[in-house]
Amino acid sequence: MNWESTLEFARGPFFQVALLVFIAGMTYRLVAVLALGWKADKVKSKGSKVNGIAMSFAKGILIWPFIPWVKNTFTRNPITYLAGGLFHLGLFVVIFLGAAHVLVWKSLLGFAWFSLPQPIVDWLAAGAIVAMIALFINRLVNPVLKLLTGPAEWLNWLVVFLPMVSGYAMTHHVIPEYDTLFAIHMLTVDVLLIWIPLSRISHFMFYFFSKAIHGSDFGKRAVTP
Amino acid sequence: MPEETIGQHLKKQGISRRDFVKMCGVLVGAMGMKFAPPLEESGLPAQLNNVRDSASANLIANALETKQRVPVIWLEFSDCAGCSEAITRSQSPTLVDLVLNTITIEYHETLSAAAGFQAEKAKEDAMKKYAGKYILVVEGSIPVANDGVYCTIGGRTALDLLKETAKGAAAIISTGNCASFGGLPRANPNPTDAKGVWELITDKPVVNIPGCPAIPEATTGTIAHFVVFGGLPELDNLHRPKTFYAQTIHDRCLRRPFYEAGKFAESFDDEGAKKGYCLYKLGCKGPTTYSSCATIKWDQGLSFPIQSGHPCLGCTEPNFWDGGGFYQGQSAPLAPPTVTMAGAAVAAGAVLGVGAALANQVQKKGAHAEEKKEG
Ligand code: SF4
Repeated sequence: MNWESTLEFARGPFFQVALLVFIAGMTYRLVAVLALGWKADKVKSKGSKVNGIAMSFAKGILIWPFIPWVKNTFTRNPITYLAGGLFHLGLFVVIFLGAAHVLVWKSLLGFAWFSLPQPIVDWLAAGAIVAMIALFINRLVNPVLKLLTGPAEWLNWLVVFLPMVSGYAMTHHVIPEYDTLFAIHMLTVDVLLIWIPLSRISHFMFYFFSKAIHGSDFGKRAVTP
Repeated sequence: MPEETIGQHLKKQGISRRDFVKMCGVLVGAMGMKFAPPLEESGLPAQLNNVRDSASANLIANALETKQRVPVIWLEFSDCAGCSEAITRSQSPTLVDLVLNTITIEYHETLSAAAGFQAEKAKEDAMKKYAGKYILVVEGSIPVANDGVYCTIGGRTALDLLKETAKGAAAIISTGNCASFGGLPRANPNPTDAKGVWELITDKPVVNIPGCPAIPEATTGTIAHFVVFGGLPELDNLHRPKTFYAQTIHDRCLRRPFYEAGKFAESFDDEGAKKGYCLYKLGCKGPTTYSSCATIKWDQGLSFPIQSGHPCLGCTEPNFWDGGGFYQGQSAPLAPPTVTMAGAAVAAGAVLGVGAALANQVQKKGAHAEEKKEG
């Protein structure tokens, strides 16, 4: 098996299967939670649930990241907060606004959107990689995190880290064989896709889910500021 | 007549020694020999030791003059004759002239004046006379489904003819993507089960010169290498001569600075296209395509597709036709799941999810019952 055929496999059938596993797996996770059943809502609503949800997202995405010092999470472990934030931002920009990935979305969805200039995406990608390394070291030295980190956490870290480094190495031609790095990148992406529903990386979906639930609860009780 | 040396032949053709050395200079460039190779490795005769220090062009000239012309048999199977056309209309007359002077084409369906049984007879004679010495050039893929009936010449299948002709060949050169990797005839669903030569002939050295068509200089350069050194140039893992296929188009692309800066043409006639921006988003396959289009170029170095505003199609790679849409981004998956597939995945996930939830509830009820009993 040479790199050309590996690449073809990783971009072709393997990617297809991985994506289907991802879709099925995430649906499973969501439905399994939803179908647990809801408690009957017997309390009269004091405010607007929709408002609550909107506020919850606005605060989580638009407000807290810019005034992190008011949050306990930040003051207790600024590295986790800052590196975590940078990592998530970089990952988001690279996946949704990098030129190469926009073309992937286009082929999957049939439509696409703008892409950011390469240098911006590049710096954020580099930032995300550095952030991941910082998070890795943090987990090694921070006494509390050390206790919380088991094999699953290390594996999650690795499965996310590999596609990021291989993608970065590919766009920067770290070795001249573009197709080799491309093949490695695609293989690691496929593994990631399969791994997400099985792991806590699925929080990318549950984050929005729980934000919405909490937000609507806050809204109902009219406790949103 | 191959019996006369190349030197004698050139003299007959009225080509002066001076012009000959000049041609050899072009040849040196085409073969990618910036410097004359060490004598031991080059396989040149020992009497050339005295010209060791002279320029490579002289070295080649001396080597060629004393050699006999090399007989070539050129077979066409499932092809479009585009590679032949490219060579005969090549705009590097010196190189092609030189190569055509150093070889004798014993059989070529498109070029030969003779036709029918006469031509076939000429081929058979040549095969006998030069057994073990001729170069076999193959253009076009070989269909092997149903015993190869999808391509026959004079009532015989391509597969049969290839095997027979390959037997006496000193080396085989597959010119174009079809002969190398199956090309267009092999495109999905490949009804004729078309194959490249190297998949069928494994007991002879086979060089692949893929391309659609193959760059004439790459074909002639490889033939020239054989004539000069009596052997084949260094090959990569896909049997392509490294001289012509060591770098990707992207490596040497003139639009590369725009790629690095993230400036892409979004359509064929937008502002970016007019400014010469990178064609990545229009489906360019340059990053994974190994070829020397960007350096040798076409029409005497005038231009090549990307320079003229069209993305690279990746014609020197295996699976050229099935390697993703021509105008689809290089990064796009080759087989994105269909809507039905995605729907089925969602349905499967939902069923499993409901099942898991039900199982949970049953367990919960059981636990409650248990509790009550105990309490
Ligand atoms: S046009 Fe193609 S080969 Fe040239 S820089 Fe852009 S992607 Fe690379």
